[in-house]
Amino acid sequence: MDQEELKNLEVSKSVDARGTACPGPLLAAKKAIGEVDSGQIMEILSSDEGTRRDVPKWADKKGHEYLGTVEESGYFKIYMKKK
Amino acid sequence: MEENKKMTIALFTGSLDKLTAAGVILSGAAANDMDVDVYVLLQGARAFMKEMAGKTDELELAENKELKEQFLESLERLNVKPWLEFFREAKELTNVKIHICGLAGKVWGGEKLEDFVDIADDIVGIGECVTSMEESDIHLFI
Repeated sequence: MDQEELKNLEVSKSVDARGTACPGPLLAAKKAIGEVDSGQIMEILSSDEGTRRDVPKWADKKGHEYLGTVEESGYFKIYMKKK
Repeated sequence: MEENKKMTIALFTGSLDKLTAAGVILSGAAANDMDVDVYVLLQGARAFMKEMAGKTDELELAENKELKEQFLESLERLNVKPWLEFFREAKELTNVKIHICGLAGKVWGGEKLEDFVDIADDIVGIGECVTSMEESDIHLFI
């Protein structure tokens, strides 16, 4: 997905983990995914550099679809679709 | 449903930095739905005593001991939870069991499960720890 497509996704759950360092965002994602239905989109907001790779890898391992990452000013948004 | 992977941690340390690292690893395992057995050994058992819980500042660093103030300040600035909270949160997320080594408990005056923090599950012998390591996909000594 390109940046425009990612920005236009209909997000069912947004997790703002910008205040925490690793492993905070990963744990926040893990907790929040349980509140999302299959096929729905979840986004995770983070400013933690370790999370940039950690969350997509985790999503992949758990069978969710990693859709892409959008850069914002001072943080980024990671998009995934729940399996 | 495929069976969860299993991790065993032999947690010997009673130092603040290593307990924090163990908590972070435990969090990663929890995020990955691993079953984790933590065996709290000698120095670790002191940190898990009820009277020590919350007294994070009284624990020392294993390395660079003179940088403790900086270490604590950085954790606070980075919004990192106290080490025990990692263990508590991991228990809420996945199947984490915290076992206190019977000998270790006695060294610090802890005879009963009630002498330890509420997240401790039981007091066990070393045989169980070794068996758990044997059956694990990953085992760590920290």
